[in-house]
Amino acid sequence: MGLDTTRYEARRRIRGSVALTSILAAFAVLVVYLYPSIAESSADIDALIQAFPESVRQGLGIEAYSSIEGFVAAELYQFLWILLLGLYMAYTAGGAFAGDIESKRLYLVLATPISRARLLVEKTLALLTPLVVLNLVLPLVVFGTTILIDYPIDPAYLLAVHAVSIPYHLVCLGIGQVLSIAFSRGNTAQLGGIAIIFLLFLLDSVTAGTDYEWLGRVSPTRYVDPTEVLLEETIRIGDAVFLLAVALLLLFASLLVFQSRDV
Amino acid sequence: MAAIEVSGLTKRYGDVVANEDLTFDVREGEIFGYLGPNGSGKSTTIRQLLGFHAPTEGTATVLGADVRDEAALQSVKDRIGFLPGEPAFDGSVTGAEFLDYHARLKGDPRREELLGLFTPPLDRKIREYSTGNKQMLGIVQAFMHDPDLVVMDEPTSGLDPLKQEAFNRFLRGERDDGKTVFFSSHVLGEVRRVCDRVGIIRQGRLITVENVEELLQRGGKRIRVHTDTPLRAADLDLDGIVEFETEGREVQFTFTGDYDVLFDELTTHHVIDVEIEEPPIEEVFLHFYGDEYGT
Repeated sequence: MGLDTTRYEARRRIRGSVALTSILAAFAVLVVYLYPSIAESSADIDALIQAFPESVRQGLGIEAYSSIEGFVAAELYQFLWILLLGLYMAYTAGGAFAGDIESKRLYLVLATPISRARLLVEKTLALLTPLVVLNLVLPLVVFGTTILIDYPIDPAYLLAVHAVSIPYHLVCLGIGQVLSIAFSRGNTAQLGGIAIIFLLFLLDSVTAGTDYEWLGRVSPTRYVDPTEVLLEETIRIGDAVFLLAVALLLLFASLLVFQSRDV
Repeated sequence: MAAIEVSGLTKRYGDVVANEDLTFDVREGEIFGYLGPNGSGKSTTIRQLLGFHAPTEGTATVLGADVRDEAALQSVKDRIGFLPGEPAFDGSVTGAEFLDYHARLKGDPRREELLGLFTPPLDRKIREYSTGNKQMLGIVQAFMHDPDLVVMDEPTSGLDPLKQEAFNRFLRGERDDGKTVFFSSHVLGEVRRVCDRVGIIRQGRLITVENVEELLQRGGKRIRVHTDTPLRAADLDLDGIVEFETEGREVQFTFTGDYDVLFDELTTHHVIDVEIEEPPIEEVFLHFYGDEYGT
C-alpha cells in the first residue's frame, strides 16, 4: 500500500491548485510589470514610506520601493504570499477533515484496512499539493518577469523567500487541520482557521514597534519576513526551524485528537 | 466462533443513551437482520462495530477483534465489507476512480462480477448519481474484495424493487457460500425475505433475537372467513384472536392460537370461503413495539 490516499486526494486538488497558481502568477506578473514606472518616477516614494507609522511598515513589510527587491517583497510576498496564502492554507485544511466527518464520507475509507494515523498523514500530504505547485511555478514566474523588465532580482534570495515561507504555510495548514479535526462542522473549522490566522497577523502588525511587541511572538507571521530576506538579505534559519517544529507539533496534536474521537 | 459478539455494549452521547447494554451474537454464515425504527440506535451499533465510535461501556468483537483495539480491528478489516446508510461519496470523482482507489486499499477480485449485477454509471462523476446508483456503487465496494463479513446499514434504501429483489437473491447466494451478513433495516418485510435471524432494537435496547420463522409464528396468520350468516366476535370466543373486524358476512382477524380449536369452532358455522395468509409484516412488528410503534 503506497501513498494511495495521498495520490487519490492530491489528484482531486490538482485542478484547484493549478487555478490558484495561474491567478497568483498573473498577479505577480502584473505587480512586477508595474515596477519600472515606479522606479523611474521622480516622486520620492521611499521618503513617503518612511513617514508611515512603524506598525504599517512592519505589518505590510513595506521598507523601500527604490529597489525591485523591496517592491516585490512588499507588494507580492508580504501580502499575497504570507497573508492570503496563509489564510488559504488554513481554510483548505479546515475543510479537509471536518467536511468528510460532517458528510460521513470518512466512513467508507475508515472501513478499509487503513489506520487513522495513516489516513491523517496521507490526507495532510495531499493538502500540500497547492503549496508544491505554487512553490515550483511562482519563483520562476517572478524571476523571469524581473529579467524581462530589466530589473533582475537575485534568484538565490528569491528562492530563500520561498524556502523560509514553507514552514510558515505548514503552520497555517496545521492550525486549520487541528480545527478541522476538533470540530465536526466544515464551516466552523474553515472560518475559524481564517479568523485565527488573520487575528494573529493583526496582533503581530499592531504590536510591532510598540512596548507590546512581545505579544506578536505568538503569531507565526512574526517568524517569517520576506522583506528582510529580499531587501536585507538576512535569512533566519532558526525562525524557519522553529516554525517547522510548531507545524509538526500541530500535526501531532491533530493526530492525538483524531485517534481518540468519535467520527 | 461467532462473527460478531456484542456484550454489554452501551453508548451514550451526553445524556442520550443511544445503545443500552446490548448483548447478542451473529453466527458465522448467517444473515442477521438488525431491525428497528428510525432513531432506535441501529447505526450507533454499526459505528461501534467498525470502530468509528468508541463504546461508553461494554464491547464487541468482530471476526475476533475487539472493537476498542484499533490495531486488532484494522488487521481484520480486509475481511470486512461495509455499506453505510445513505453512503456519502466525494462527488468530484467518477465511480470508476472511486472503485480504483478502494481497490488499492482493500483489493477487488470480484469487481467485474458485481458490476454485472449492480450497474452504477462508472464513467460519470458521482455527483451526478441518483440515490439508487450511489447505493449500487456502495454495494459493489462493500463486496468487491470478497470479505468474510459484510455489515450494511439499510442496504436496500434507494433501490428500485427489481434491484432490491436482485440484491436479496444475491445476499442469499453469498450466505450459501459461507459469508456472514449483518444488516440493519426498518422494514420488516425485507428482513423476513432474506434473514435467518433477527434482532429487534427499540430506543437503544434489544427487545429480542429470534429466528425469522418464530418471529412470524408469533405474528400469527391473517384469517378471512366468509360465512352464510354473519359472525360476531362473541361467536368466535377463542384464545389467540386479535383485531377482529366484520365486513358484511366476512370477518377478518389475526390468529396466533391453536388451529385445531379454530377449525373445530368454524365447523359449527356454515363456511362459504376461508383464506389464510401471512399477516402484513408490520403487524408482527406491532406486537413487539406496541402502541409506540413508529415513534
